[in-house]
Amino acid sequence: MDGGTVSVAAAKVRKRSALTSSDRFVYLLAGPLVLVLLVYLVVPMLATATTSAQGGGSAYKGFFNGSSATALGLSVGISLASVLTTGVLGTALAVLLSRFDFPGRKVLRLFALLPMALPPLIGAVSFYFLYAESGILPRFLAQYLGADAAAVSANGVWGVLLVHTMTMYPYFYLAVTAALAGSDASMEEAALNLGASRFRMWRNVLLPMLTPALVSGTLLTFMVSMASFTAPQFYNVQTLTMQIVASRTSGAYDVAAAQAVVLSVVSICFLLAMRWYENRRIHRGSSKGTPQSVKVLHGALPRTAAGLGSLLLVLFLMAPPATIALLSFTVDGSWTTQILPPEYTVENFARIFTDPVTLRPILVSAQMAFVAMIGCVLVGVLAAWVVTRWKGPGKALLDVMVMLPWALPGTVIGVNIVTAFASPTPFNLGQVLIGSLWILPVAYFVRFLPLVFRSANASLAQIDPSVEEAARSLGAGPWRALRTVTVPLMSRGIIAGALMAFIQGFGEYVASVVVYPARYAPLSVEIYNRIYSNEFGTAAAYGTLQMVLILLVLALSQRLETPRRAKKPRDDTRGDSAVALTPVLAPTLNPIHETGDKNEHANEPVNAAPRP
Amino acid sequence: MTSRPLRFALLAGGLALTLGMTACGLDAPKDSGSSAGAAGSGTLTIYTARDKGLATDVVADFEKANPAYAGKVQVLTLGAQEALERIKAEKANPQGDIWWGGTQQQMQQAASEQVLAAAPKSVIDAVPAAQRDPEGLWVGEMKLAEVIFYNKDMLSADQAPKDWDDLIDPALKGKIAIRDVLASGTMRSIFASMIDRKFDAAGSPDAGYEWLKKLDANTKVYAANPTDLYLRITRQEAAVTAWNLQDVMLQIQNQKAPYTPVVPASGAPMLIDGVAKIKNGPSSAGADAFLSFLLGQDEQTKLAEKYFQIPTVTLAKEPAWLADLNLKEMKVNWARVNKSEPEWSKYWAANIKGQNKS
Repeated sequence: MDGGTVSVAAAKVRKRSALTSSDRFVYLLAGPLVLVLLVYLVVPMLATATTSAQGGGSAYKGFFNGSSATALGLSVGISLASVLTTGVLGTALAVLLSRFDFPGRKVLRLFALLPMALPPLIGAVSFYFLYAESGILPRFLAQYLGADAAAVSANGVWGVLLVHTMTMYPYFYLAVTAALAGSDASMEEAALNLGASRFRMWRNVLLPMLTPALVSGTLLTFMVSMASFTAPQFYNVQTLTMQIVASRTSGAYDVAAAQAVVLSVVSICFLLAMRWYENRRIHRGSSKGTPQSVKVLHGALPRTAAGLGSLLLVLFLMAPPATIALLSFTVDGSWTTQILPPEYTVENFARIFTDPVTLRPILVSAQMAFVAMIGCVLVGVLAAWVVTRWKGPGKALLDVMVMLPWALPGTVIGVNIVTAFASPTPFNLGQVLIGSLWILPVAYFVRFLPLVFRSANASLAQIDPSVEEAARSLGAGPWRALRTVTVPLMSRGIIAGALMAFIQGFGEYVASVVVYPARYAPLSVEIYNRIYSNEFGTAAAYGTLQMVLILLVLALSQRLETPRRAKKPRDDTRGDSAVALTPVLAPTLNPIHETGDKNEHANEPVNAAPRP
Repeated sequence: MTSRPLRFALLAGGLALTLGMTACGLDAPKDSGSSAGAAGSGTLTIYTARDKGLATDVVADFEKANPAYAGKVQVLTLGAQEALERIKAEKANPQGDIWWGGTQQQMQQAASEQVLAAAPKSVIDAVPAAQRDPEGLWVGEMKLAEVIFYNKDMLSADQAPKDWDDLIDPALKGKIAIRDVLASGTMRSIFASMIDRKFDAAGSPDAGYEWLKKLDANTKVYAANPTDLYLRITRQEAAVTAWNLQDVMLQIQNQKAPYTPVVPASGAPMLIDGVAKIKNGPSSAGADAFLSFLLGQDEQTKLAEKYFQIPTVTLAKEPAWLADLNLKEMKVNWARVNKSEPEWSKYWAANIKGQNKS
């Protein structure tokens, strides 16, 4: 559809002068989007609410006087603490790697995302082998420093926090990295030129600019910690998810559903609170300038310190994946009381590679995760754009619709999807997915859409709509403006989200095991089988292959992200097609730290902006 | 204009990767699979919580004995609880034919949700009435003897516990690991048996609670899952635990685990592990054939000898290892246990677990 004339006509006839053609484009896109969200996300998840209400609400009665209330408190506390620890680690790492150059930077950048690729089941085992009482670290400390192994091992809530920090910091790391890459160095320079101290520049210029990214990381971490089960089970912490599993095991499905509903309601309240916080201010710049150049550290001392620091960090981050790799070369059952395994073998890998059937799960997982990732990108980016550009009420509802599955434990999602797509009904548009290969990508899509959505959303929050409006006023249609201006500007956020969705889909277990069709067992199910038979070596070999593959994907995406760097030392072409617009827009830097209503900005005459 | 080629390259690269992998990986098995699918109702789908090696072995035997099903049996491995949830969720359009491996309680739940169909009459008749559903909606395939086992590198036979009550001896303080109870049907049943054992004398579960309090005081760690339990015993974090005999024997045989099982003097609670036919599954005839085969003398004898299984059907000859063990069954009032177990477990979690460390 083409904007100009239509919008004028509509405005005249219906006197809805506030509705521009861009607005109508938003509503037009919102139609199919809401349909997709309703069919795949909202209606299936409503099944949990109906189950919980089966006994006329009796399932909720015991909630607040029983142990569930305590468990809820513990869940919230752990989740808040996880947000804090992951936020500090992820943000620090992102700033360090985006802004400074030092020996070991490249390696650290590559490995920074690997902890997210920890295979779900064997990942927990790696923490056991590292930090439990009989783990490598406590035994090492006990033997060489005379520490009490039981006292230095990770336990209880601390263990849960350790695992959460290690596996969830990428939510912050990726979002903040994308935000830093999208920020304009000239604003920092302007602040410094105006006499601001470095600290003040960070507080008043950079940190507000990072707010959308931090909000995205906070939301993802908080909600996923609330729904986390493996870590609390491993360290025996009675969180609400533990109670849900206990209720299911005892057959009290309505109670389990009620607990899941409470869990997601708390998460959604948190989501709304964060939305409110984020919307109090606008955190965007209308320019797409050059990001701050990487600061090269000079001098022997800072370089050594930074190199040593990053080495330690790499060691810390790599310890769990490295433990899995170590296990994959260990003879099953031989490693008992020693610090490190006494016997090594390549038999575990030989077993995988000689049997053609065993490689199949890896292919299944890789392809299903990839298909799901494409779906997540298409729908997630669109949803982020609609939510950001939507005027009037309802945007929070749309946000909640997308994030709903992120607030629920994986098993609940798996069961809901199977129930929803078991037979043709009006709600699923007659689709029957069970028994078909498509159910796996659908499950991954539902589970990991929030990752792309939040990440794209954070990028979008940094971009001023006037950039898009400029494109429109230069004659581009709404679709073209979205395609050639907005999406390229968001690309870093999109790629970050897509990477997360792919990596997590690759190793997904809890929902997969409930939905996977015959003949297409994903990798995680195969790992479960090996662990169940106590064949750690083979399980770890599978896990190692998974991590190597993901490492390859990460290395590839990193190469693709910086293709010109080798040719030009100063990467001033790193931007996008929007760079062409930059010279026009750059001199009219809007104050990045506006307060007040977004609409006020949108109503500005579009052609007032580019004034050289 | 870097970005569009960039993303294009990313997509193209990913797509090429995917297609390349499709070409060399998924297609070959898919062909054989789809030819099986073409046979339609001929394909038999089994959801199993049993060990994959054991399941594969049994299915191979089944295909040999029933050539009509050769290459047409699909096995999906998943935990018993997941199998139950999956079957319930698929109720409108069942995808599986057989559910193999689940506790009596789980099987009974599925039966009352009306997702199970009766087994063939010959199979029902072969299994004693106490070890199956009255209408044969599920039948017990084996009895799981719940025993004590310990790490023989840590304790000598003299120091090792001989009976359940030895577990609460202060000498074992800090030496016991227990599989996380609430998330495990097996552990719930063991603990409920311990309460039931003392119920008649006291007329209430209180004596059992007292016993569990002392056990909790001796317990060093609650393990997250069976694997975690094995690890903690093998790696000498704890010396003693309670678990089912078959798994322990298989660990000893396959992993050379340093375990020694102890059949408690007062007897071992015997849990039922069942198998059931899923109602309205794609291949009803296949399900009947599989059940008849699985519970037949030949296969049960093999499972008993090779996989340390205690069958529910009466075998012509008891396997040698079982005769050596002198296994004695503990008397448990299962009707009472099934009724009160959720309440007892809840009480334990709220008032006993982790509260007796002093």
